[in-house]
Amino acid sequence: MGGQACILYGAAEFSRDLDLAIATDPENAKAVARALEELRAEQIYVPGFDIAALERGHACHFRCHASGAENLRIDLMAKLRGCPDFDELWNRRTTVELPEIGSIDVIALPDLIQAKKTQRDKDWSMIRRLVETHHLQFCNNPNRDQIIFWFRECRTPSLLVELARTYPDDCRGPLGQRGLLQAAHEGDFAALESVLYQEEQQERERDRSYWKPLRAELRQWRRERPPRT
Amino acid sequence: MSDVNDSKSHPEFRSEADEWALLSPAERWIESCGLWSVYLAWGGSLDPEPDSHSPFDCEELQRAIPGHGRSGVHLVRRGGV
Repeated sequence: MGGQACILYGAAEFSRDLDLAIATDPENAKAVARALEELRAEQIYVPGFDIAALERGHACHFRCHASGAENLRIDLMAKLRGCPDFDELWNRRTTVELPEIGSIDVIALPDLIQAKKTQRDKDWSMIRRLVETHHLQFCNNPNRDQIIFWFRECRTPSLLVELARTYPDDCRGPLGQRGLLQAAHEGDFAALESVLYQEEQQERERDRSYWKPLRAELRQWRRERPPRT
Repeated sequence: MSDVNDSKSHPEFRSEADEWALLSPAERWIESCGLWSVYLAWGGSLDPEPDSHSPFDCEELQRAIPGHGRSGVHLVRRGGV
């Protein structure tokens, strides 16, 4: 669901870890624990593998020591801000066939984009690139769902103007909701930039608010943790 | 289709990012694995970069050791800063 998913969806990204969204039912929790054991995964930050913490929105961070996966970092999450619960994410997933690996399940692109609406700068440039890339891949013969997706998530002023000209009937609803309709029709790039900036700031603030109690809990755990020997 | 789309459909107008985007997921995966190998061979670290915006921005996660656990590249001269 992280950088590797971005690569599979076409963004030019170099990812140094593996971010996994997991189901937290007892059976799956046992399977994940077994997998972490096989990978000789060392907990590198608080909390450890803690289902209750995952369900509250925390991430669990590990570094692997098994042969073939040395130093690989794995981050586990079960809840993503603004995204539906795991079962719904799973129902909407994309499945990709990879050479020598087989099929792997990847978070759906709209969910990946929602999960990237964070307080981090780098996630916002990634969202823009993911939508631009999706447009490039499907612009020659898009279906209506894809067109609506572009209008909902596109963060590139020039592309918004282009799309509004190409699909005037489909743009009203989604661009109207975002407050981008008039500026896109008029090709007013300054107004588009301004609304996109406000949109980003609102999401960043929501993310900061979401993480505020979780960060407090992280600080508490770090204080309580016994010193490393 | 639009002028933008027409121009991107011609290989001579595509950027490297466009070329990458137009690969299949499997092709991108293979290319990415190749980058991973080079990165590790050059001593690249698998630890996260400092990111003051991240909820997990913490020195404990930033050991900055080479991904394969040994020093792959030694800094001989540093210019500027």
